[in-house]
Amino acid sequence: MNNLQKWVQTIKISWKRYTAYRLNFFLQIIGPSLIFFFIKYNLWSSIYSGEEGLVIKGYDFNQMITYHIWSFVVAQIAQGHTALNLSIDIRMGRISSYLIYPFNFWEFHTASFLGFQILQLGITCLSMTVFSLLGILPDFTLSGMLYGISACLYVSLFWYALQYFTGMLAFWLEETWILRVILQVITVFLSGAVIPLELFPEAVRSVLEYTPFPYLTYYPIKIFMGAPVDMLNFYGVITIWLAIFTAINSYLWKRGIRLYTAAGM
Amino acid sequence: MIITKDLTKKFVSYKKEEGMKGAFNSFFKREAVEKFAVDHFDLNIEQGEIIGLLGPNGAGKTTLMKMLTGIIVPSSGTVEIAGHSPWKREKDFRKKIALVMGQKSQLWWDIPSIDSFKLLQKYYEIPDARYNEKINMMGELLNVKDLFHVHVRKLSLGERMKLELMASLLHDPQVLFLDEPTIGLDLVAQENIRQFLKDYHAQHNTTIVLTSHYMADVQALCPHLVLISGGKKSYDGSLEKFENILGHKKSVYFTFNQCIDKTDDFWKTQDVLFSENCDEVELKLDDHEIREVSAAILNKFPVVDFHTEKMPIEKVMKKIMENPEILSGV
Repeated sequence: MNNLQKWVQTIKISWKRYTAYRLNFFLQIIGPSLIFFFIKYNLWSSIYSGEEGLVIKGYDFNQMITYHIWSFVVAQIAQGHTALNLSIDIRMGRISSYLIYPFNFWEFHTASFLGFQILQLGITCLSMTVFSLLGILPDFTLSGMLYGISACLYVSLFWYALQYFTGMLAFWLEETWILRVILQVITVFLSGAVIPLELFPEAVRSVLEYTPFPYLTYYPIKIFMGAPVDMLNFYGVITIWLAIFTAINSYLWKRGIRLYTAAGM
Repeated sequence: MIITKDLTKKFVSYKKEEGMKGAFNSFFKREAVEKFAVDHFDLNIEQGEIIGLLGPNGAGKTTLMKMLTGIIVPSSGTVEIAGHSPWKREKDFRKKIALVMGQKSQLWWDIPSIDSFKLLQKYYEIPDARYNEKINMMGELLNVKDLFHVHVRKLSLGERMKLELMASLLHDPQVLFLDEPTIGLDLVAQENIRQFLKDYHAQHNTTIVLTSHYMADVQALCPHLVLISGGKKSYDGSLEKFENILGHKKSVYFTFNQCIDKTDDFWKTQDVLFSENCDEVELKLDDHEIREVSAAILNKFPVVDFHTEKMPIEKVMKKIMENPEILSGV
């Protein structure tokens, strides 16, 4: 009971912290995805403008744009949380405070993440409403929407574990931002956020099935689009990856904290 | 309350060679350099004591403090605080201690301090009634009640420090660690913090470990001093004994309105030091001599000012830093 109160209060505080600079917060979470969407829109428009009625691997122009509008929604909910920067906390010795409080470092960050996620979901619903008013939100069914959102929320947990992992590496590495950028770029490409996975060579696709990447963007998009997706498989695979990274993170924390020097205290 | 035995922390760093070639070489073959930040340190602090942990920069104070609070894990040796090993970081242990760092804010920067307090209330599971009582009491004592709703980043350093102290004391810790709590504060703010700590200690009998480079803090608060240099303990004893390391005599200073005669017979019987332009002297006097000798000087010479040393501890520290061997005989 007491522990729940700690989580709830941390979430409340995280809202205050995130919204301390409202405009900045808003631009930060919606700006990059919006820009990314317009780049992709232009890219695909020019590809499709070459030939009337072009269909690429089953996608005509409208379907491709639909795919990318859902991709925007997925990126918002599932991979919105990139602000997490454990590495700076570790390197600058800022985690000392959390080592003193009777509330663990991971609990604090995870609660903040949940707080962020709740805010983010609200903002995504708001942007979908705007899209809908502008008439560019693709058709959807209520069940498709609910399945899609829950799939994205589950994926966001895995995405968080992955971010946490790169942060933990700061115990050993002086700088981790390059790693995070590499991870970001690879993810964007291999998860189907730029090019739908149907356009990848068959061999590459079958290898990708064994990685978490398609589950980050491609499958959630398909769920929103109402395409048949094996839900049991989807949740099963993410659960396994989530468990693996949680175990690694917990191991890294235990090893890392022994190396921690709390620079400057 | 706090017992350490052979407590040691060893850091390993790698030598970096100069230039591109050096960087290339050290990429493949690194030379490890071991440094003992804290070296076989024994300490015994009783419940309710205030101890001042002193030492020059880089002596190992902060490393010791980090081991005592459980932030870093010792390389060897044992440490026990209120029956716990800090490095295990059990929740029970964490509820018993508090740490205030003058150089680092623990309050969340972007929100008002009252929000941080509420969060800490939940973390430390402080009952509402107790929490409200503490907030009111300390808020009044420190005169910061108006600041509770101001964003922390907008506060002055002195204001923030008071709130940091409040935050650390909400849960009635048994042991309070203060790492340079008055650093960068103006004289009035320093004095306020000292007075608050004194009053708080008198009421709660909290065990306090304090590090500071301001000898005024130490003199006002710490009857027990521990000096660390090069990771080793070089002094552990009372403030009084520490002040007398250079001898029991007090320094008394006289300033004259003109150069005086150094060869005067009066000075021959005294332990005296003249300033370069001979208008100032420093005398080393025993307590019982002060009255008599001072009266004689006041009568005989054109004195415009005189004073005794206000903080002998400052002088002792300075001498020790210049010449650590002084302590070998203590």
